[in-house]
Amino acid sequence: MSGLITRRTMLAGGTASLLAAPWVARAQAKTLHIGMQSILSGPIALLGTSSRNALMMEQDRINAAGGFLGRPIEFVFRDSKGQPQEAARLTRELVNTTGCELLIDAEASSGSFAVQEVVRDLGVACIHSNSETSSLTADPKIRVPTAFRVARQGVHDAVAGSIYLSEYANTKKLNKWATCSPDYAYGRDTTAQYLQFFKQFKPDIEITTEAWPKLGQPDFTEVITKLIQAKPQALFTLLYAGDLSAFVNQGNIYALFGQMAVATPNVDYPVLAAIKNLPPGIQSATRYLETFPNTPANKEWGEAYFKRWNERPTNWSWQNTVAMQFYESAIKKANSLDGKAIAAALTGMKINTPFGVDGTITMRDDHTTINYAIGWGQTTPKEPFIIDVKAADWGKIIELETDWKKQQKYI
Amino acid sequence: MKPHPASRDVVIAAVALIVVLAIPLFHRSPAFEDFIIRLSAMALFATSLNLPVGNTGMVSFGHGMFYGLGAYAFALMMQMTDLSLPVAAVLAVSITTLASFCVGAICVRLSTDYFAFITLAFQMLFYSVVISWQSLTGGDQGLRGGIPRREIFGFELSSQLHLYQFCSVVAVLGLLALRHVSTSPLGQTLRMIRDNEDRASFLGVVLWRARLLAFTIAGAFAGLGGVLAALFVSGAYPELADWPNSGQAIFAVMLGGINSFLGPALGAAILLALNDAVTRFTEYYGLVLGIVILAFAVGFRRGVLDFLRLAWPRSSK
Repeated sequence: MSGLITRRTMLAGGTASLLAAPWVARAQAKTLHIGMQSILSGPIALLGTSSRNALMMEQDRINAAGGFLGRPIEFVFRDSKGQPQEAARLTRELVNTTGCELLIDAEASSGSFAVQEVVRDLGVACIHSNSETSSLTADPKIRVPTAFRVARQGVHDAVAGSIYLSEYANTKKLNKWATCSPDYAYGRDTTAQYLQFFKQFKPDIEITTEAWPKLGQPDFTEVITKLIQAKPQALFTLLYAGDLSAFVNQGNIYALFGQMAVATPNVDYPVLAAIKNLPPGIQSATRYLETFPNTPANKEWGEAYFKRWNERPTNWSWQNTVAMQFYESAIKKANSLDGKAIAAALTGMKINTPFGVDGTITMRDDHTTINYAIGWGQTTPKEPFIIDVKAADWGKIIELETDWKKQQKYI
Repeated sequence: MKPHPASRDVVIAAVALIVVLAIPLFHRSPAFEDFIIRLSAMALFATSLNLPVGNTGMVSFGHGMFYGLGAYAFALMMQMTDLSLPVAAVLAVSITTLASFCVGAICVRLSTDYFAFITLAFQMLFYSVVISWQSLTGGDQGLRGGIPRREIFGFELSSQLHLYQFCSVVAVLGLLALRHVSTSPLGQTLRMIRDNEDRASFLGVVLWRARLLAFTIAGAFAGLGGVLAALFVSGAYPELADWPNSGQAIFAVMLGGINSFLGPALGAAILLALNDAVTRFTEYYGLVLGIVILAFAVGFRRGVLDFLRLAWPRSSK
């Protein structure tokens, strides 16, 4: 009977609707979707969510200014759980299923290398916003034409830190050092990189002991007693996030920080918040600090972030913000969303941003950023938490980075 | 006249393969193609695990080791040599087969509990080697630089469609081979061992030899799954060889049905679909997955396919 809707008609209609849905949705939507994947669950989700927070602020700012090429932008966030194979799958899903036309890869290093290979296949524009492993962009075999990095980088940090620490060690006459870093690639590789440059600037240092606690280790007693027994004059540590705050809290019980000087590049706001009694005088880099660069724009951004999220930003936050600032400028210049066109616009681009050491950051020809703010100072228990910050010399960083690239046969 | 079971399996496999290969001719969906590529790897992994678990009664917690080994062996050969893709894949599966034979030779004589523990121990050992041997494996960052996907007979596997076709063919052939093992006299013997090992022993079955054979074959097919996984992610990562990955395969087996040949493949499909759907809406993937598995366990009290077969038994029986 023609007036009745049969079960078969319903099924056919339902199937047709399901099949047609993606085209209908695409035809209706002018919104530009940007895929973002990061670690949004598990022990270091704090960093992933701080990336997402920054991007949501950027989404509001960019949409208020008219979007990209007149289209409002909208992020599609995905949690990779920190697993590289899941990161690779999500990149494909974001582009192939969700229709994302740009990517922000806010993964840690292991995930970023997986994303890099998928981007190589897909040819979409991608900015890695958190991976610090230098080879991601330094190694021409790994570099991808449409993928860029907007983040701090291991070799830059190592040069800047080594110059600062060698001057500090000479002033304080600290020759006997110990190291304590997490027992995985980042900890071991970056410690070796720091020591290589450190010895170049201060050849008379002696490493009395090396401790390699596991990532996420709850009890540092064994590590702390080992360090105390070795009687170094100073300790260099690459522990970070929860591990660093746990180490400092437990080290306080053993009065560790009264027995040796301590240096780390990894003190940031979440660590400061988790430390009960921050010992004064720890030498630390500024991952993100509202007072460095000490400019109204930087302070304003830090305060806006705190006002919106009721917590302070991390270095992952500013890096993602800069990633969007680069996209904004590159898309305006290219007047296109095509991966190759954006890549051509990004290469060599210099933008104004609060996070540059002189108010600018440059995307170098090898797809990585330079001139971002790196400074070293010493901790103090009260705000601003790190004082006497000295800005790193980017001329020296680039000179030694070039030597390192030659050693690695990247150039 | 009833067709021979083996012929029937071949016909079913051929029809399934034709359907899967025909879909992109009518409608290209990159998301669907990605799903099938991942499912090919996971289905081989889970179905191969069911050979020792479901057929033989040996619960292996270390099966991910062979999946990871297949992925690493294949990816390393593609990166470090000029071997063609099929040769590298065959060699990777051969290496995995040898490894599973060696591990099996040590493990299969142990009782159920100790067998489970020692397979887990071997996996942890392998995982530690992968993490520590940074110069070869890239350590915890995985094998970087991508896999050069050299052309085979006009197939360029960096093309998604070609990869989809390649993985579908390999998975269907792999599952067909596993089905053949399962229905062969060896498969019958394994089930006899599972049900009553004393009786099997009295009948002259050399228990350790049959178990070792099952364990080795399972390792080989898990390695083949690893090869497909490496092709999908264009690399190899330690997580492929870690124990949670073995747990995923066990989940797939339990979810799909331990007593049905296609149960683990169905379980793998459900797990992957759940992962894809749930991660779009929440970061609490583990919680949702736990609730779903609990619902299956409490509601069905068995895997989906086992439940369906029990609910609608064949009329001939």
